[in-house]
Amino acid sequence: MRVDGSLAMLDRWGRLMLPGAVLLFFVLLTLAPLRAPYLSDALPLLPVLVVFQFSLVTPERLPGPFLLAMGMLLDLLLGGPGAPVGVSALGFVLIRAAVANNRRYLVGVPFLFQWFGFCLLALGFVLLVWIFTSLWTWTAIDPLQAFIQYVVVVVLYPVIAPLLARVRARDPLNVPELSRGTARPGETTP
Amino acid sequence: MAIRDDFEVAAGQVRAAVQRFALGLLVLASFGAMLIGKADSVLVENARVLALDLASPVLEAIARPVAAANRAIADLKEFASLRQENARLREENARLLAWQTAARRLENENEGLRGLANFHEGPEASFITARIVGDSVSAYVRGALLNVGRRAGVAHGQAVVTGEGLAGRIAEVGDNSARVLFVTDVNSRLPVVVERTRERAILAGDNSPQLRLTLLQSVAGVQRGDRIITSGHGGSFPVGIPVGEVVETGEGGVRVKPFADFSRLEFVRVVDYGVTSLVGGGPAAPAPPAGAQATGQRIR
Repeated sequence: MRVDGSLAMLDRWGRLMLPGAVLLFFVLLTLAPLRAPYLSDALPLLPVLVVFQFSLVTPERLPGPFLLAMGMLLDLLLGGPGAPVGVSALGFVLIRAAVANNRRYLVGVPFLFQWFGFCLLALGFVLLVWIFTSLWTWTAIDPLQAFIQYVVVVVLYPVIAPLLARVRARDPLNVPELSRGTARPGETTP
Repeated sequence: MAIRDDFEVAAGQVRAAVQRFALGLLVLASFGAMLIGKADSVLVENARVLALDLASPVLEAIARPVAAANRAIADLKEFASLRQENARLREENARLLAWQTAARRLENENEGLRGLANFHEGPEASFITARIVGDSVSAYVRGALLNVGRRAGVAHGQAVVTGEGLAGRIAEVGDNSARVLFVTDVNSRLPVVVERTRERAILAGDNSPQLRLTLLQSVAGVQRGDRIITSGHGGSFPVGIPVGEVVETGEGGVRVKPFADFSRLEFVRVVDYGVTSLVGGGPAAPAPPAGAQATGQRIR
């Protein structure tokens, strides 16, 4: 049994909470009145990027029920009257599951593969939300805006993802089985 | 001992089962949430308002530095064209002064004529000034969050205006926050009149920067450059708030460009017209709540 000082405990708790806190921050940030062209278009999809990246590097610190709650919060905050509440939650949960089931192709591989994986999953997310919102409100919503969001967030991925990836434990073998993937001893992929 | 082991075994089995079906359960839960939202819209509305109220202090904290940064960027941009801008403004000022004289004269004349005709004006409007603390602009919604709510006298359905014209209406109200639905939102339908011809029409948003004008009578009379103003039909909006300008009259229908610049909104005014309770069948002009007097300044 390890005896921890309060500082070590704080450190452990901090590590445990960090991904969730970052996700919460990005969910709230979707509402920030940022008036930068293009960048503000991508804000609503940034939580998707966070979910993907953390599911990749540290899924045990981002449990499914938490994602469900965050997705609902995002829908409640973002959605106008009549928009479905829970569709983002569904998307988040599915992204996490998709990443967990395809770790073989996503962990310990060149960055381009991860980027490609994100492109696919984010496209799936955008389509899911678009289809559900169109069905729910029973109107043909112009998909152009959603597509612009998608393109911007895909372009932003290489900028933000490496930063988020730094939350992972330093040694790939010193982490739970689930997030280790195919990493070998001594391997240090970004 | 044996009982405890059994219990641990059973617990382990339950845990394994939950883990195996975790994804299915989560997916079911999100579908359930969507269905509940469809079936019980009041519950969702309350949840939205609660989330807004909780998030608005955080958003306000984010909004101030963001607004400062936006302003700095805008300042830098304007710096480049300062000389031209100055010349343009001087010219515009001269023109506006001429208009002011005309407006004063007309106002006096109007007042006199109203006195003669014993004309009864509608209820007086008072304004509540609010800061925009959040944008709820996504691919599906055009709106914003305000830092005022029921406590300041904001109510569902009130008009939200900027200096240039109508921005939207209040869609949700919390204690200290409110959500505006912009006129460009796909859910927005607004009774308007064409200022020149006094023709009535409905102005509908479709999430694009321009609005679609659906005329009740004929399309023929509308020209490019016609101003569109609120008609006041439906009762919750004051008459004559400028909304936009016709920019396109063609096969694709009449398109209107709103006067309000949604990309630069920072402060807006909520118009308390005093008749929002008409919808509920209340008296025509209820006394505004105490908070409205404190926050909003009365005009005229």
